[in-house]
Amino acid sequence: MNRIKVLLENLRKGVVTEQYPFRPLRVPERLRGKPVIDPDKCAGCGACVNVCPPNALTMRDDKHSSMRFIVLFIGRCIYCGKCEETCPFGAIRLTKEFELAAESREDLYQVVGLRLYHCPMCGEPFTTVRLIKRIVEALPEEQRAAAIICPRCRESVTAHYRSYARR
Amino acid sequence: MRPRNKCELMTNLRRFGEPRLRGKYLFISRIKSGRLKDLVDYLHWRLGGYYSTSIGVDERPLDGYFHVYHVFVLEKYGVYVLVDLPANPGHPVVESITPIVPAANWAEREIMDFIGIKFRAHPEPHRLILPDDWPDNVYPLRKDFPYDEKLPTSDKIAKLVRESPSDTWIAEDSEDHTAIPVGPYHPALHEPEYFELFVEGEKIVDARYKGFMVHRGIEKIAESRLTYNQVPFIAERICGICGFTHSTAYCQAVEEAARIDVPERAEYIRSILLEIERIHSHFLWMGVAFHLLGYDTGFMIMWRLRESIMDLAEKLTGSRKMYGANIVGGIRDKWDIKEEKVALINDTLGKIREEYLKYVPKIISMEEIKKRTRGVGILSRSDARKYSVLGPHARASGINTDVRRYRPYAAYKYVDVEIPVEDDGDIYARIIIRHEEIIASIDLIHRLLDNIPRTHLHADTDYIPERRYGIGCTEAPRGEDLHFVITGKDNKLYRWRPRAPTYNNLLSVPTMLRGEHLADAPIIIASIDPCFSCTDHIVVVDLRSGRRRPLRTGGLVGGR
Repeated sequence: MNRIKVLLENLRKGVVTEQYPFRPLRVPERLRGKPVIDPDKCAGCGACVNVCPPNALTMRDDKHSSMRFIVLFIGRCIYCGKCEETCPFGAIRLTKEFELAAESREDLYQVVGLRLYHCPMCGEPFTTVRLIKRIVEALPEEQRAAAIICPRCRESVTAHYRSYARR
Repeated sequence: MRPRNKCELMTNLRRFGEPRLRGKYLFISRIKSGRLKDLVDYLHWRLGGYYSTSIGVDERPLDGYFHVYHVFVLEKYGVYVLVDLPANPGHPVVESITPIVPAANWAEREIMDFIGIKFRAHPEPHRLILPDDWPDNVYPLRKDFPYDEKLPTSDKIAKLVRESPSDTWIAEDSEDHTAIPVGPYHPALHEPEYFELFVEGEKIVDARYKGFMVHRGIEKIAESRLTYNQVPFIAERICGICGFTHSTAYCQAVEEAARIDVPERAEYIRSILLEIERIHSHFLWMGVAFHLLGYDTGFMIMWRLRESIMDLAEKLTGSRKMYGANIVGGIRDKWDIKEEKVALINDTLGKIREEYLKYVPKIISMEEIKKRTRGVGILSRSDARKYSVLGPHARASGINTDVRRYRPYAAYKYVDVEIPVEDDGDIYARIIIRHEEIIASIDLIHRLLDNIPRTHLHADTDYIPERRYGIGCTEAPRGEDLHFVITGKDNKLYRWRPRAPTYNNLLSVPTMLRGEHLADAPIIIASIDPCFSCTDHIVVVDLRSGRRRPLRTGGLVGGR
């Protein structure tokens, strides 16, 4: 008896299957899909690289071409959204795109290249030009000089001034 | 006589060693020689506690020793007992407790594989997790083994492939056209498990299990590369069904260790998401159970119902399964459950409950279902205690245990949780337990939503002190999920060991299979809800003819 009741209930319910992929799938507001870096906003600070749990985001400095590359490999991404949460410039965000099958491995990479900034004192590259510009713009006039040199040079300069102060 | 309180317990334990109470953790160190077995017997069999798991830690950089911690849960006294066995690095041997508590079998073998501590008098001192071609005397969880080390390939691999039993199966099966085994990995379902059943005619005489084919080494990654707040996302991916419970257990372990107070709102949101996860997991299990019983209409109904829960989870968290909500100290900002979402949850769950009650009580009172499941795959209460089985599996065998009630965490502190318990210990009891749990969970979410307080979502976690111990326990859909952590330097863990409930539950499967009919094997194995996977891929060895053939549920329950 029960078996027939269940069947009747089922018939009343009708078809519930969705016609995907012949019709597009509606995705919810909050879906965490493929992350995309906006190359105009990214300053190459590497905050996203620091927080990324599966190392989908990596950073590489190339001294020959004097460029910093932020590399996003979707093949490793777990769509946790930590990068989006951390990015100070709102440059990386998770889109609603979820159909990520690709024909070649290269299609799964997004690379953002940024010009490296060299320390005016020692000549070593330590950050990107865009990031230094943004930092300098945000700082008051008197602190700008200290911001444009690399941390190591800044240390020695500060030590130098301090030793003068003590005398 | 059982001690009445913690004080008396401490006095009694002084007979065996030196007990130290640190909050909820009762360390027993310097066990007197020859007294370990008596201590374990006392804790597991006489005190009403149960053995939970064992953890091996390479603490040579800290105090010069390897350590084994056997964790016993004494719910009555509200403590975790950690039996601390140091092992000399020159000659790491400690006494095995498996002869007293069979549940410790796998955990001890895992420590043998990963840390290289030998257990004296262990009944099966073979490899459990490491593959057969792994070189001797290389122990991956020791601190001097780098996480990105690649070992040279061994000659043994070639040999393994040649000796792979599947070659012979194909040859033997060609006469009677039984299906070809596709290795121990199932192509359709997503977890490799490998059972060997020994049968005489249709009766199962013995069963063996081989697993751990997909051990991913995430403990090592977490200890070497990941920071505290990265681990929850990796922990969530331990399981494809109950991931959130793992990330919660991990976060709770670190919060315990660092004494972080989680804001109440975060606790409520965690509990709500955990219950949503439990409902979807039980729906999934019920569907698969009906499928294995040959009732595919039931399977379709359960999975259709489950879909509305998955959609709800997706709307709340942005993902069907990987909620990604937990961080150490609370919940991430965007995962807040706001007013309009409260209405959405109440509404959806109301509909699901209504529809669920329309179908499932009818299904489980069907004679066909009862005949297939009553008196089948019985696990007696004493056997359940022997293997320390957990969760619904234990509750179906008459053991009243539930982390949510007896060691309340998250928001379960503030509400009453209904715990159904059945005494029969058969598959039908397991179905009933999960059926009642689904309804209890739906009601629980409604109650949690009514009382959700307005506080912050996460606490500040600027500093986590070094070398603190923490245990985080949650009631996963399959039972107690335990995460053990030792905090370390540089924003990283020193040791992390997750223990999923199936680890304990699987050990009891051979016992349940013995003496049963072959046709019932798939549902017996599935009845523990073994993180549902390749459980339908079983190899049958006929003792009379010595022939091996794969067992496929399709062939047993439905038409081919």
